[in-house]
Amino acid sequence: MTAAPRTLPGADLCVHCGFCLQACPTYLTLDDENDSPRGRIVLMKGLAAGTLSATDDAVGNHLDQCLGCRACETACPSGVPYGQLLEQTRAETATARPIGFLSRVVLATFAHPPLMAIAMAGARLLRALRITRLLARVPGRLGNLMATLEATRRGAAASYPPAPVTRARVAVLQGCVMEGLLAPVNRATERTLARNGYALCSAEGQQCCGALHAHAGDRETARALARANIAAFEQSGAAFVAVNSAGCGSAMKEYGHLLAGDAAWHDRAAAFGAQVRDVSELLAEAGPVPARGAAIKVAVDHPCHLMHGQRLSDPPARVLAAIGGIAATELPDAAQCCGSAGLYSLAQPALSQRILAPKLNGIGASGATIVATGNPGCMMHISAGLIRAGSDARALHPVELLDAAYATDHQADHQGGSR
Amino acid sequence: MDPLTGTLSAIVGATHVIARPSELIVYENDGLPGYHKLPRLFVAPGNREEAIAVVRALAASNAPFVARGAGTGLSAGSLADGIVMVGMQRMRRIIELDPVARFATVEPGVVNANLTKAAAPHGLHYAPDPSSQTACTIGGNVAENAGGPHCLKYGVTMNHILAATVVLPDGEVVRLEAPRDDEIGIDLLGAFVGSEGCFGIAVDVTVKLTPNPARICTMLADFMTVDGAAEAVSAIIAAGIVPAALELIDAGTIAAVEASIYAAGYPTDAAAALIVEVDGPIAGLDEDVAAVGRICRAAGARTVRSATDAAERARLWQGRKKAFGAMGRMSPNLVVQDAVVPRTKLAPVLRAIAEISARYRVTVCNVFHAGDGNLHPNIPYNASDPDEAARVHEACDEIMALCIAEGGTITGEHGVGLDKLPYMDALFTPDSLDAMCRLRSAFDPARRANPGKVVPIHRCKEWLAAPGVEA
Repeated sequence: MTAAPRTLPGADLCVHCGFCLQACPTYLTLDDENDSPRGRIVLMKGLAAGTLSATDDAVGNHLDQCLGCRACETACPSGVPYGQLLEQTRAETATARPIGFLSRVVLATFAHPPLMAIAMAGARLLRALRITRLLARVPGRLGNLMATLEATRRGAAASYPPAPVTRARVAVLQGCVMEGLLAPVNRATERTLARNGYALCSAEGQQCCGALHAHAGDRETARALARANIAAFEQSGAAFVAVNSAGCGSAMKEYGHLLAGDAAWHDRAAAFGAQVRDVSELLAEAGPVPARGAAIKVAVDHPCHLMHGQRLSDPPARVLAAIGGIAATELPDAAQCCGSAGLYSLAQPALSQRILAPKLNGIGASGATIVATGNPGCMMHISAGLIRAGSDARALHPVELLDAAYATDHQADHQGGSR
Repeated sequence: MDPLTGTLSAIVGATHVIARPSELIVYENDGLPGYHKLPRLFVAPGNREEAIAVVRALAASNAPFVARGAGTGLSAGSLADGIVMVGMQRMRRIIELDPVARFATVEPGVVNANLTKAAAPHGLHYAPDPSSQTACTIGGNVAENAGGPHCLKYGVTMNHILAATVVLPDGEVVRLEAPRDDEIGIDLLGAFVGSEGCFGIAVDVTVKLTPNPARICTMLADFMTVDGAAEAVSAIIAAGIVPAALELIDAGTIAAVEASIYAAGYPTDAAAALIVEVDGPIAGLDEDVAAVGRICRAAGARTVRSATDAAERARLWQGRKKAFGAMGRMSPNLVVQDAVVPRTKLAPVLRAIAEISARYRVTVCNVFHAGDGNLHPNIPYNASDPDEAARVHEACDEIMALCIAEGGTITGEHGVGLDKLPYMDALFTPDSLDAMCRLRSAFDPARRANPGKVVPIHRCKEWLAAPGVEA
């Protein structure tokens, strides 16, 4: 029944102190240590040692229920590389416990650009026909999916001129969902970077970052996508790869680890990882150029793969602080996962909603009309929850807010107005 | 199937009863690595009524049990060796918080730091602050009479518990309250706090809330010798200053913390550092700060600096409080020790511990509540090396014997549990142990609550004489 013992590097760092427990959204929701970081480490060690079987459904479920949010890593004094343990375990138990059908379909779509283009076009059509709005509050999975698509609706954005180039050459990761459903966020990213003196260039041949594949245990696809991206961005000549999706940025910064066993690619992957920046890092590095903008109340939420994966919480705050009109406050559980977590909202719909619930309550109590969070999955999941709860508040990317403020200022300054 | 599974599931719901061995292994140990005992069953009641019904069902089937909070204990006290484990983590409601009368009534699973968070808007906090306070529960704190850095000035858990509702192991529910000054009789609440789960399970606890001090000053003094730091500790207290906290961390601990995400800016080239915190009314505080600085420098401190803002203060404390976890990076296994010596003996005892560690070729990292003389010598080691493991255990025994010989005791705040059981004989006379057994029997005549812990039953005449008791 059980496999030959494997090594699980980093698992021994855990001294079972329990400091991760209160950081774990699934522990706080399910109240069982089997659904906590230190509990799952015990299970993963058991699987690696061969004392537990990967076909044991109870064990498999506890690992499946992990969001992979890595909040435990930010709490861990011992530095257990929890995310890596989880990815390795999922990869090594994938034969005994295959990835679910729905997840496989999504992963295959993401890995094949023509399929992705068709899927995204279909989704945009549903959105354009307002079918997503019509069905957003239907109970169950269909309504949820429609609300998630409806959450990507954006109004027209105004433009403004770039600043003279004073900073490095930057290529923006277009991404899958971002370019497919949230293209305005990509344009806002490009405009705000240009407004802050960066020179933009494009990286032809770039693909999906592979984060979802790695998280689900399909490391081979993840590695193939990583190689394609490394090659594409290398030939672009960019000094930095700007990423506006926290999940993608986190995965791309760790390409060195993903390709550690690949002699031909490891050094290139590590060098590439060092060039990856979240868009907020680049903007914060440049100031960013201040803006007045409109007066709005903003609640701040931290994407897990920014706060825990990349250990970044200050740069997005500086992006928002550059906008004079914004009154920003952190949500009380800003450091805790919203339940989106890549494919999690598809694979674990019920639990995902339970994890989202306290966040929605916090947003309601904050009185904010905008939730700022720099990751497409989080924006869509939170906005979908708000839509389904009948709230008018929406989650937006911090660069969208900065972009809107620059545009508002530009318009005000060039209409001979009171300013 | 275990017949209890159905009974308990009917009370708490099937999702909160665990019977599969593959899911029970996460409950095999607490915060002290090295001890593993597989429970027979795990059950987690969700409220007071369920907790009482669970204990009554266990009594009806004569099943021994252990209550467990967050499993952060450091004496293997909440291990359930083939018996039922009652997990209290679901009971985490703050029932009442009265900021005027300054008390709170909480369920036992409330996390220590969450209680302080809830009290913060009222300018109050829950004073006992074990290093594990971001994870450990009030119920567990009561069971262990937990301490913490700030207990030097504010007192340990026992000094902050006003009342508790307890379900005794036979299922009877009793209300225990702190005796008032004019009352004569037995302090049953005092007996319950620190009883390590042997007297029953608290289903609610009423605690004091303490006003936040008007001003806090946190200082960091670093020394090139451990002796100097230890002497400064005694000198500060001797000067009549009562710091809110007075902690010592040595070079090994500093190295572990500074390598972690909780890096606090402790000087890595120092032999030891003291964290000294003074707090209270603004009047007189500057004089205390100046005096602490003078005393530390006279004892050989290289530098003495104060945290300039709340963030730096928090960083200094986070480093200290996460130190034990940070030692995980040094070796796969860790012995966490807990002993107390008279404060004036700190310097010679630390010298002797250094000598013992050199003789057994083990690494001892000291991080402890120096003001209370409460030592925590931690020994990172690799358990898969039998020779090293044997040397570590011999060194531990010798350190314990040393502390007892210097007039100290075997635990300051972690409790006896399983880990300290072998040292009880060295510290207490057979008559004292007998008295403990009799007190325990008063609360739990059938001896089903946390059996096999705290009191070494092979030394207990009365215990051996009782019928039908498994050793």
